[in-house]
Parts: sequence; C-alpha cells; structure tokens
Amino acid sequence: MNQQSENAPGKRPDIAIDYENIDVARIMDDIKARVAGESVGESASAGAADSAPVPDFDLRSGDAQPPARGRARGLALRLMSPFRPLIKLLILPVYDEFQQTVRILHNTNLRLDHLYEVTDRDRHNAIVRLDRQREYTKLLHSLSHNLVVELTKLKIENDTLKARLEILEKDFDFLGKRERALEREVLE
Amino acid sequence: MKLALVVQRYGLEINGGAELHCRWIAEHLKKYAETEVLTTKAVDYITWKNHFPQDEEIINGIRVRRFPVTRPRRPEKFGRLQNELLGREHSEADELRWLDEEGPLAPSLIDYIRGHEKDYDYFIFFSYRYYHSYWGIRAVPRKSILVPTAERDPVIGLGIFRDLFRMPRAFIYNSVEERRMINALSRNESFIGDVVGVGSEVPAALSAEAFRTKHGVTSPYLIYLGRIDENKGCHKLFEYFIRYKKETASDLKLVLAGTTVMRIPAHPDILYLGFMGEADKFNALAGAELLVMPSFFESLSMVTLEAWALGKPVLANALCDVLKGQCLRSNGGLFYENYPEFREGLALLLGSPRLRQTLGVNGRKYFEENYRWEVIEKKYLAVFDRLEKDKEPAS
Repeated sequence: MNQQSENAPGKRPDIAIDYENIDVARIMDDIKARVAGESVGESASAGAADSAPVPDFDLRSGDAQPPARGRARGLALRLMSPFRPLIKLLILPVYDEFQQTVRILHNTNLRLDHLYEVTDRDRHNAIVRLDRQREYTKLLHSLSHNLVVELTKLKIENDTLKARLEILEKDFDFLGKRERALEREVLE
Repeated sequence: MKLALVVQRYGLEINGGAELHCRWIAEHLKKYAETEVLTTKAVDYITWKNHFPQDEEIINGIRVRRFPVTRPRRPEKFGRLQNELLGREHSEADELRWLDEEGPLAPSLIDYIRGHEKDYDYFIFFSYRYYHSYWGIRAVPRKSILVPTAERDPVIGLGIFRDLFRMPRAFIYNSVEERRMINALSRNESFIGDVVGVGSEVPAALSAEAFRTKHGVTSPYLIYLGRIDENKGCHKLFEYFIRYKKETASDLKLVLAGTTVMRIPAHPDILYLGFMGEADKFNALAGAELLVMPSFFESLSMVTLEAWALGKPVLANALCDVLKGQCLRSNGGLFYENYPEFREGLALLLGSPRLRQTLGVNGRKYFEENYRWEVIEKKYLAVFDRLEKDKEPAS
C-alpha cells in the first residue's frame, strides 16, 4: 500500500490518499470534513469578532488643561468662567489651540479607521453568511425536487393499492354471492 | 433487420446532445442492420424552423428522411406555457398543448411512422420529451425502443410522460441514475432495458503542443467543453474560478470551447476560444490538467467520457447525480457542491500530479470497460436479441 499525503498549494492540512487503491468517495468525505471544519472555525472567529470590544480612545487626551486643585482654585475658576474665552484668547498661545485640535482630529481619525475595519469585517462576514445561505437554498431546491419525485412515487403506489383494494372488494362480493348460491343449492 | 432511428434533428452540423448520440449510434449499427434515420427539417433547437430543403439524403452512408415542421416554436409562448404548467395544477390537455408548443411539430413524420410500421423491425426513439417520441411511440408501441436521454429536470414529472414510459418495448438508458429515476416515476422495472450510453471517436494522434502553440496558452489550464450556458452551470463555474484565482496565487487558466449563449466575464485568465473542430478539441483536452463539468442536469455527458478516454481527471458538479455517480463508479474524478468544495477539490488535483494521473488511469479503464464502441454495439445487439426472444413464445 502506498499511502501518501500531498499538500494543495498554500497552507491547508493534508488529505491522505492511498494511490494504490484510490477511493473517490473517501477523498470526498475528507474534503467535506475539512470544509465543515473550516466553516466551524470561520463562524467561531466571526462570533469573536462580533463580540470584540471597541478600543477605548481617549478623546479628551488633547485637553492640556491641568485638573483644578483645591476648593479656592475651583471657586476662582467658576467665578471666572464667563470670562474664560476672553482669558483664553489673551493668555493661551494659538499654538496650543492648534495642537489640541490636531490631537482631537488624530483621535477622530483613529476612531474612524477602527470603525472602517469593523464595518469591513462585518461586510466580509455577511458575504460568507450569504454564500452559505445560497448553498442552503440550492440544497433546499434539490430537496424539493427529490420530494416531488418521492411524492409522485407515493401517488402511484396509492393508486395501485386503491385499484387492488377495489379488485379484492369485488372478489369478496363475488365469493359471498357464490357462497350463498351454493348454500341454496345444497339446501334444496 | 431494418431499423429506423427517430430523432428531433439530424445532420453533421449538430454536434452535441441526443442528436449526435443518435448519429453515432446510426453509423455504428449500420454494420449489423439496414439503418435509416427519420427526422425533421429543422436545425435550430429553439425555433425548429425548417432548414434542410431536401426530403431525403445520405449522410455518412445513412439514409435520412426529413419531414417538415408545420409550425415553428414560439419561444416566449412556450416559456410562459411551461411556467404555468410547472407552477399550477393542470390537466392532461394542458400538458399535450405544452408538448405541441415544444415541438418539433411534424405530423407527417408520425404519419410516416404509422404508415410504414411493417417496413421496419424496430423504431429507436431518441429524447423522450419531444413531440416525435410521444406520438411516434404511440403509433408503433410494439416496435419501439426508447433512448430517453432524460435529465433530472422538472418536466419529467408531467403525467403524460409517466404513461409514455410504460409504452415502448424496451429502453436504452444512458446511466444508472437515469434508469433509477425513470423506474421510480413509472414503475417500469419489468420492461426490457439496459444502461448503454454512447462511445466516442478519439483521434489516434493527439498534440497538446499544437493546441498550446496555436492558441498561445503557456500556463496550466482546466478546460470546459460544451455549450456555454447558465443551464449548464457556467455562471457558477465563472464565479467559483474567479474567486479561486483571487484567493490563490495560481497561474491557472480556464479554457472554454463551444458555442456561447451567455456573457463570459472579462477576466485575463478566462480564455474563450470559440467553437472547435474535433481534432482541436481533443488536442485541447490532451493539454489540460483536468476537465471541469459544472452542469446541473446531464443524462450522460459525452465530454466527460471523452476526457476519461484521454486519461484526464474530471472535476464535476455533484448536484448532478449522473456526474457524481459516474465519478464514484469510475474513481476517475472529484466533485463539488459548493465553492469551498470546488476550491479544495481543485487545489488537491492541481497540487498532486500523481492524483491526476491515477484518476485519469481509472477514468480510462472505466471508459474502456463500458463505453468502447464494441461494448456499446454488443449491448444494442443484446437488446434486439432479447426482444426477438420475447416475441417468439407469443407467435
């Protein structure tokens, strides 16, 4: 016996083939098992992807304001709050404002990239699910066809049985009549 | 013995399906019996318009009698009628109206058969689903042999055909699956019949190099031969092939040859070479890594047998029970039901020259044992013998 495994191009696991006594049915069973294994893996990873948490981006990271410390400072800040934009305009360099904006935009970009990635993955998963649905539909179509054939056979069988039943009923009636006639003859 | 082979179209320009099957059988049976062909004047299977002017001609030594089609098929009306028939409850009269519309409507052919019953020993009807078989078999039931060439398509469930399958003297099936299907539909197991099929004329000299040079194909390729049609599953083949190419870095090409009735996707690796002559076709097949057969409905698939005759493996659509059955019986090919199986099967075949070779050798053995012309002729003669023996006690 010469049993050997050969790899398909790429990275797939082996299928053992006995070249001396090749059996297509067995090879197909192996292929089906492998495909089934893959689809289970796919759905598992798809599930993991669905439930993966969205990374938490610190959208306030651009805020360079140190936290207010102490009650007095807090009170002063509250009192000054109506004048805050004016104070900011006067004391804060434009450069800092610019830097803050860039940081916020950068974080927004990161967030958008992540959302793109998630959407793309969802789209891919949807395509895989759609393909599977398509295959199921095909199988259903084939199943319906087979059902039609089976029903046709059953109808023929039913017709035959009905015909046989009618014949038996007639035979039974005939035998009954015959029995009565014979009885009459014997009695007479 | 005098035989009449009755078929919907006949001619050298018709190179596929039941018509070619009939021509080959006629040309091989002429050694054993006086053989004639009774057919229509049509050449187009969609409209059945009269094409051949002459009533009689000799083609490759066979006398061919042609009868006119009185009314061409109106494809739109026929399509509408068929949809209604398959989708709704209907009567036998509706089915007969559908049969008339399907055609080829040639009442003079039926009159000829009825009037000349005594002139022939047997009438061999090809293709169960057409007008000529339905009415022809009814005209001469005691002398008729049916070659159904039935596929698993929905019209086989029509009531008129259930009766038809209980009418001829004998059946010559193309495959075990076809016989099983017809037996299941009409309970005609007790009728004389055999699974025979058809042989193939493989040229003695083949040159894959000649094909590669002529068409500039340098990469390895898989080949599809036949009508490029959605009904033959070609749309799925294109979808799967393009997806396979996207997922792998393979330099594989898909070569297509045959007439086309659908749009072929513009893809650099899909090469459509148009209709090919026999020599070219076999050269192309000889150079291919494997034959791919995506059809959902086949009663035999002559091209699959030709691939096996050349020792080429096959990758077939498993949703066609005949192709799947042939692959399993021959151990000469793999099959697929969906894309993942197509990808795995193709990758396995392409990745292993030894597997391709072994499957090819098995396929050739299967062809030699079952589809060599000597075997086919012997099976036909055996059916005639059984019919003759069956006749004797009655007389």
